[in-house]
Amino acid sequence: MPVENKQGEHMRKFKNKGKNMDSLRRQRVEVTVQLRKAKKDEQILKRRSISFSVVDQSLSPGEDKSDEVIPMSLEKIAEAVNGSNTKLQLQATQATRKILSRQKDPPINQIIELGIIPRLVEFLTRADDAALQFEAAWALTNIASGTSNHTKAVVEAGAIPALISLLSSPHMHISEQSVWALGNIAGDGPLYRDALISCSVIPPLLALVSPVTPVGFLRNITWTLSNLCRNKNPYPPLNAMKKMLPVLICLVEHEDKEIISDSCWAISYLTDGSNDRIQIVVDTGILPRLVELMDRPELLILTPALRAVGNIVTGTDEQTQAAIDAGALAVLPRLLQHTKPSIQKEAAWALSNIAAGPGQQIQQLITCGLLPPLVELLDKGDFKAQKEAVWAVANFTTGGTAEQVVELVRSGVLKPLLNLLLAKDSKTILIILDTISNLFLTAEKLGETERLCLLVEELDGLEKIEALQTHENNMVYRAALNIIEKYFSGEENPSLQPGTGQDGLYDFSAEKQDFDF
Amino acid sequence: LLFSQRVLLLVASDVDALCACKILQALFQCDHVQYTLVPVSGWQELETAFLEHKDQFKYFVLINCGASVDLLEILQPEEDTIFFVCDSHRPINVVNVYNDTQIKLLVKQDDDLDVPAYDDIFRDEEDEEEDSENESEGSEPSEKRRRFEEDIIERTMRRRQRREWEARRREILFDYEQYEYHGTSSAMVMFELAWIMSKDLNDMLWWAIVGLTDQWVQDKITQMKYVTDIGVLQRHVSRHNHRNEDEENSLSIDCMRIAFEYDLRLALYQHWSLYESLCNTSYTSASLKLWSVQGQKRLHEFLADIGLPLKQVKQKFNSMDVSLKENLREMIEESANKFGMKDLRVQTFSIHFGFKNKFSASDIVYATVSLMENVEKEGPETTNFIKALDSLSRGNLDKLHQGLDLAKKQLRAIQQTVASCICTNLVISQGPFLYCSLMEGTPDVKLFSKPVSLCLLSKYLLKSFVCSTKNKRCKLLPLVMAAPMDVEQGTVIMVGIPPETESSDKKNFFGRAFEKAADSTNSRTLHNHFDMSIIELKTEDRSKFLDALISLLS
Repeated sequence: MPVENKQGEHMRKFKNKGKNMDSLRRQRVEVTVQLRKAKKDEQILKRRSISFSVVDQSLSPGEDKSDEVIPMSLEKIAEAVNGSNTKLQLQATQATRKILSRQKDPPINQIIELGIIPRLVEFLTRADDAALQFEAAWALTNIASGTSNHTKAVVEAGAIPALISLLSSPHMHISEQSVWALGNIAGDGPLYRDALISCSVIPPLLALVSPVTPVGFLRNITWTLSNLCRNKNPYPPLNAMKKMLPVLICLVEHEDKEIISDSCWAISYLTDGSNDRIQIVVDTGILPRLVELMDRPELLILTPALRAVGNIVTGTDEQTQAAIDAGALAVLPRLLQHTKPSIQKEAAWALSNIAAGPGQQIQQLITCGLLPPLVELLDKGDFKAQKEAVWAVANFTTGGTAEQVVELVRSGVLKPLLNLLLAKDSKTILIILDTISNLFLTAEKLGETERLCLLVEELDGLEKIEALQTHENNMVYRAALNIIEKYFSGEENPSLQPGTGQDGLYDFSAEKQDFDF
Repeated sequence: LLFSQRVLLLVASDVDALCACKILQALFQCDHVQYTLVPVSGWQELETAFLEHKDQFKYFVLINCGASVDLLEILQPEEDTIFFVCDSHRPINVVNVYNDTQIKLLVKQDDDLDVPAYDDIFRDEEDEEEDSENESEGSEPSEKRRRFEEDIIERTMRRRQRREWEARRREILFDYEQYEYHGTSSAMVMFELAWIMSKDLNDMLWWAIVGLTDQWVQDKITQMKYVTDIGVLQRHVSRHNHRNEDEENSLSIDCMRIAFEYDLRLALYQHWSLYESLCNTSYTSASLKLWSVQGQKRLHEFLADIGLPLKQVKQKFNSMDVSLKENLREMIEESANKFGMKDLRVQTFSIHFGFKNKFSASDIVYATVSLMENVEKEGPETTNFIKALDSLSRGNLDKLHQGLDLAKKQLRAIQQTVASCICTNLVISQGPFLYCSLMEGTPDVKLFSKPVSLCLLSKYLLKSFVCSTKNKRCKLLPLVMAAPMDVEQGTVIMVGIPPETESSDKKNFFGRAFEKAADSTNSRTLHNHFDMSIIELKTEDRSKFLDALISLLS
């Protein structure tokens, strides 16, 4: 296989010959996308994004002068920054900021190598020169936006306390720029996140949130807060979390989509942890709002809200019940049928956790009409979503009462479930076989084993299970063999032949009658 | 241009395409390339043929079709499918021009294409980043963000610039696509290819000549372009044919010789009688206004002036007195000048097969067109195409003669229809253009359900009309002509041709106009022909279509 791949890649490279630059570039972007995805698993996603709308121009004197920025060579910049002429210092800092702000390949490394970062940090403290403070903060923001090493260079120059004190600057554009820079530092990982927290970044940051804060500024604050909630190993300190939560609860009520989105992400980070953390979030009473947001059409909002609710239902039965009480089950059917596979998957994941609950929660799941969309997803969904749906069914059959399991079979779950035995993924196959065993256990209790056997046979399930006896995975083979030996090895009773002769179609209503007791 | 795999040849139904096809076939034979030939008469056939064969073929050669549309968009080919397009239709679709991986255009290098610059019509993806911002919607926020230079003002500036660029792009494309016209004959392009490969033969050269002559007969190119291309071919002719000169006496029956000539612009006269040819050639008929009694009188005066007795003129040209024929051309030209026909002399080529058979290039064009659009159906659709193709081989003189007979019929039919249209005032001014519609039941109307024949008729009619009308404004108008196409289905075929002026650039805007008129009226039309200035539509929709066309062009 790898050889073939290489060859394919070679061919593609060959085909690039003569192709215009356009498509070449697109391919390169795709490569980075893949890298990004790989990184995502390790929770170190770094996405370059386009700037949010920036400070009101009227509020940023530094901006006004941007037309006058004189391009300078790197040597000149170093010279001027280190010199004592304040005018030249400003010009050089502006020039630095400018080259770090260009769209393509900012020369962050070269700037670091110039050794001017300590000076830039020093400029942050120059309360007499707001323009210089602003330019320095911007330049440092962009340096910190790079790799971990870039961020490190900024932090080690002592930028954290300087930036935190600038949060309280009388100039709004300066405090906003500091928020941004601190966001980049916090986003680097748990280490710097906690360094910021122990430097008391939270109180002045929260103080910036007020009803009159401009939306653009508020977006930056929300994003920085979300980074302060982000990352595990370790989780952010509990008391920091408790401080931020009330403000996040307010921000989640905001009307701006990006603010809602980022604050939801923050909540989702906080709920992605132990049950006591989930409890702290649930106690704020935020669940109804999250469920409401889960029902929004915008992916920007729906995704983090669903993630947060999904995290909460991984918690205790009581926490899960709180989510159900907030109406989560009413929204999930639509999400299971969402056009986007990732949403289907997340919704099915949440459902599987609810299905793992006590019988009463399973009953609510049935009452809220989740079985039909679940069966449909199992039948036609994206494969990743199907896997989650399999989990949901498995959990259901483990914890559900006999009546509930019968209800599940009646809603037609068997057919798509058995079809998925053809999947390549042996873990999924194992879970399905487990589920089938569970179904048989229930059938045994009800004395309906024969009927279930017939049903499985009618749906070509037996064939598939038999085929799995030759599966390379030992556990799959054994589970399949077990089912066959237990339920399908006996002499078939001719009187129990399936009643499908009439029209050749499998009569699903017969299924209902059989299990009606 | 070397293939190890089988090639699919898709060839349009016009004489130039047939000639190009003949040359390519000869080249393929020479290089042992296997191919399958599929004639296509319109876009639908092209699409069907492609779909039918796309699994078996990777290489497709399109002759006189396909350049003017975005092939990748329309045919949705696999990534490894390659199209070689040799098409005289202009303008060439810009995507075809700028895609050099899947679309290989065979175009003469010095052809002036006026293709818009790449940067004016395509934009790098990167600039669209802004628009694709929302694609990442739903993914986690970025952990770090850089602050870019641009602020709100710059962004709006960029957006404005983009809008301006788009407006400009539309304008450029509109200008570029507005007119249809024709570039160098595909047969000539194909011949030059053969020449570059040093595989050119005299037969190929002759086909190139016929291809060019077809463009001239169909009035597709300017006089300038014709004369220039004649010059190019003349050099090839002398290169290929000079060696025969001293051996002229030893010419065998199957030997062929091509010669450049100043010949008379009289259709088929060497295979007809001079009289018939004079009557049925558009140029003479229009100049002398032969549809009127006066015109007939003028013809007799003209013949008298030349000094040709009617009896001689009316008999087969072959049987005319040799003494009369000797200085015939000079004599006719001299008198023609007096009668206002200064352009009766044309530069062309003729071919000799042995002693007996001599054909002028235009003879072949007329014969091939008639065979191709023969309305007396025999067998399947492709029969005519194959027959016409065969008639171009020198071994098939009988087919050629059959074609000549059909061509005479056709020219006569055209002339009679022109005369009756003019005498019964069927050409009416609609304001922005002249309009003439042939009624069902008009003699020979079936002939004109075919595109090339209808175009010929339209061109001849417009020439004659311009000579007959005294209205100066009307002389400068283009013509739209309609003829019944399929009575059972209730369809008409309509063609638009540019004005008949001496300085005409032969550019035709009816393609776009038809398209718009059809769109705005929801007319049931079929814009199937490779010449977009030909359209088929339901008879009932004709009047609303015309109304829309008039208001569009007013």
